[in-house]
Amino acid sequence: DANLKKNSSHAASLTLKGCINYYIGNKPEAESYIVKGLTKGENNYIVNHLAGIYYRAVENYTDAAKWLKAAIDNGSPNKQILRDLSNLQVHIRDYKSLVSSRQGYLEFQPGYRANWTGTAIALHLNKNYKGAISTLTKIESIIKEHLQDQDMYEQSECLLYKNDIIFQSGDVQKALETLEDDKPFIKDMLSFLEYKAKYLMVLGRTQESSIVYRQLIQRNPDNIEYYKQLEICLNIFEKPLSSRIKLYENLNKFYPKADPPKYLPMMFIPSSHPAFKEKAQNYILGQLKKGVPASFVNIKPILKNPKKLKIIEEIVASFFENALSNYDPTIKVWGLYFLSQLSLYQKDLATATKYIDTALEHSPTLVELYILKARILKHYKKYEAAAQIMDEGRQLDLQDRFVNSKATKYYLRANEIDKAVDLISLFTKLDKDAVNGCKDLHTMQANWFITESAEAYKRLYHQYEEELASIEKTPENEEIIGSLHDKIETYKGLALKRYTAVVKIFDIFFNDQFDFHFYCLRRGTPRDYIKTLQWEDTIHSTPIYVRVIKGLSEIYLEIYKEQQQKKAVEGEDDGTTVIKKNNKKNKKAKAQSLKKKESLIAKVESEKDDADPLGTKLLSDLVNNAHGNIIDNLLKLSQPLLNEAKDYQFNWELSFKLNLIKSKYVLSLQAIKNLNSILSLRGRITSKIPQIEQLVTELGEAVSKDESVNEAIKKVVKMGLSASLSDYKEAYEPYLN
Amino acid sequence: MGITIRQADIYDIQAIQNANLHNLPENYLTKYYMYHALSWPQGSFVATTFDEIEEWDDEISLDTVTVKDPKGDTAYIKKGEKIVGYVLAKMEDDPEAEDKTPHGHITSLSVMRTYRRLGLAGKLMRHSLYALCESFGGQYVSLHVRKSNRAALHLYRDTLKFEVTTIEKSYYQDGEDAYAMQKKLILDELKPHLFENAEVVDDFSQDLLDDL
Repeated sequence: DANLKKNSSHAASLTLKGCINYYIGNKPEAESYIVKGLTKGENNYIVNHLAGIYYRAVENYTDAAKWLKAAIDNGSPNKQILRDLSNLQVHIRDYKSLVSSRQGYLEFQPGYRANWTGTAIALHLNKNYKGAISTLTKIESIIKEHLQDQDMYEQSECLLYKNDIIFQSGDVQKALETLEDDKPFIKDMLSFLEYKAKYLMVLGRTQESSIVYRQLIQRNPDNIEYYKQLEICLNIFEKPLSSRIKLYENLNKFYPKADPPKYLPMMFIPSSHPAFKEKAQNYILGQLKKGVPASFVNIKPILKNPKKLKIIEEIVASFFENALSNYDPTIKVWGLYFLSQLSLYQKDLATATKYIDTALEHSPTLVELYILKARILKHYKKYEAAAQIMDEGRQLDLQDRFVNSKATKYYLRANEIDKAVDLISLFTKLDKDAVNGCKDLHTMQANWFITESAEAYKRLYHQYEEELASIEKTPENEEIIGSLHDKIETYKGLALKRYTAVVKIFDIFFNDQFDFHFYCLRRGTPRDYIKTLQWEDTIHSTPIYVRVIKGLSEIYLEIYKEQQQKKAVEGEDDGTTVIKKNNKKNKKAKAQSLKKKESLIAKVESEKDDADPLGTKLLSDLVNNAHGNIIDNLLKLSQPLLNEAKDYQFNWELSFKLNLIKSKYVLSLQAIKNLNSILSLRGRITSKIPQIEQLVTELGEAVSKDESVNEAIKKVVKMGLSASLSDYKEAYEPYLN
Repeated sequence: MGITIRQADIYDIQAIQNANLHNLPENYLTKYYMYHALSWPQGSFVATTFDEIEEWDDEISLDTVTVKDPKGDTAYIKKGEKIVGYVLAKMEDDPEAEDKTPHGHITSLSVMRTYRRLGLAGKLMRHSLYALCESFGGQYVSLHVRKSNRAALHLYRDTLKFEVTTIEKSYYQDGEDAYAMQKKLILDELKPHLFENAEVVDDFSQDLLDDL
């Protein structure tokens, strides 16, 4: 401040003041000082460095990297900046610039293996395999004589990392040789064997490879992947079926407790072959006799084949009828449990109910039976009854969180949110001043619960909207209408609030990697670090995230529709609503509703001191386009899905819809093409797909109706359609001629 | 659905976190799972189910195949693969720890209730113990178990031969006591296939397509 008094435009002092403001908690004012400082001293490395620190603190990684880079370019002698800069560059995936920062830092501090590993990673990320390999080889030879016991894990990981890069570079022979040479230093023998088996296979040395896969199976006879690879090595598909059956019989002798040698034959032996029945019988009855709850779920994939389903049904039914008297009575219950699930699978709810009710009568203390009974009720759409049954099951084992979670979920499905929260709170940490576990579940990133809650709130406000629509808009109904409006607002806000919470949790997941950019270099786990970067680059394809975006997009599109309707109506009248408010009555009601709101807030608050606990602002901002057009916002929100989750139909359906609204017809066309590829199983199904036909029609109609669209775009759309969707000619030709 | 047991990696951690939240009261942030995956990548294992048809069985006609998006279920890692059990393990890394011999610690283990009685917990543990010993030179492994959790106690003490070392008073947040348990790790005794109790052991010399 003293400096600024002397010279109010002293750049470094301005930026420093910005940083200080930020760190003492005066966040809103901080950025203006930073910006001022930067305009006065853009080429001053101290200013640059401070700006970098500031933007890093506010998690604006792109600008942080920009200014730290500027600090280096403007001659800062502080080489530590390179380390921070490289962390930022890898975080924002600026791999190109990463190389020189990492190399610069390595030159500054060559005494640490971590810095060599870091440089190799930077080169590897740029697909400079040669550079990466030579960097790793160099440090290996430098460090060889100095390795201590505690360095040996890092040594092993770095050797395997280098080996993987040699393989990726295409020199498989070299990779194999190096792997064998390095064997004495390798501690992760699982990776060693997996690499070796893969290399031998790629080199066509299948006989040797098959031996290594057998060693892997011996290490872990429950990993199905090894069996698949072994089959390829043995060229099993060219041999008679009897060989394949023999293979698994032999493997089963070695590994009688492992699942794959028993399971896989049921998949590949055709239903007409007598061995199928034999294998299925042994597998299923073996599990039933042991009382394995998953005995049905385990064979579900096999049931996709209707002939196999028939055989399995016969096996269990005849076991149940004939052989039962020889076994323990609880086996009867597991048999009924199995048959009930089989009926449920075939959508025969009545029979499923019959079986499960008999089982429950026989054995009313078995929790699994309640879980199934509840599921059947759910299929009947009797959600409240389902929740109650699940809750009965829960009460039989109060210590088990699994069945508590199930009961919670079922109450949410029945829209009984309060009950659900009370139940799940039996197992959550109770934050200070909290009335339930809602905050803890948000802190603990319980995405399943948050998403189910969002969906429950959404169903609730839809329910109230329906009610509202069915009520006559008369003065007598004024109060009811008012309270319905209130409820719709509240639950819509809460639905948005919950969905948005999951989106925020995924932001946290992405930023979680930040500390690992440096940590993994020091720890010496480069292989898993690289995998982590790839994982982070596709986290938005996680099934729950797609479900959340789907839910959010539905609300956004509803609001958009309301906006459009309102616009149309406003054109006609002045927009005043029918309800005129009675002031006196209103005041009292308001006080009451305020009180109610406070207790609601206590129940639903998701983080401490939340300024918008009910999502009211979230909702009104959307309705009023406070942060730009709602469709643009939705496009932005769904963009990561288009890059990261290309195999989801939903993403392309949404992309089609939004781009059609925005009159971006070429992008809509692109979406249909992608959707068609998924629905036709990448061309395996050649018959016409009704959904595609529908979308093609919609696109054709929209383009032809739109007078503002220029001819060139029309032509592009038409050409695109006839080039890749010519089967649907009849759908678009009427419009595009 | 068929069941596979394999080493856990970073792609699994969200579904591991989900299983943990469903089954146990002690929960952790994703970052803590990342910390495990990036510090001791060999130590943790998962049990998953798969339900995709990979071979196009000619008894199934293509017309009946309906294409669906993955279930938006938090147990799923990706289409057709769901995590039903996990063991999350680490090496002791507390610089304040009294005992400096390298040793492992089981942070968390659980199997979804609907997948119990398949021996998954035991198998997961065996793989983890083997890896902690082989890759990190763990000489013993420790864990805590709730005093009231009889099933877990049975698994550790009777099946896996752990020993109770002490009782830690009010170890858990809700005030419950914990048994602190340990097991010495000897690599040759931990080989997972030893527990198959098979009459014949593969010595890799025979042709698997013939009668052995």
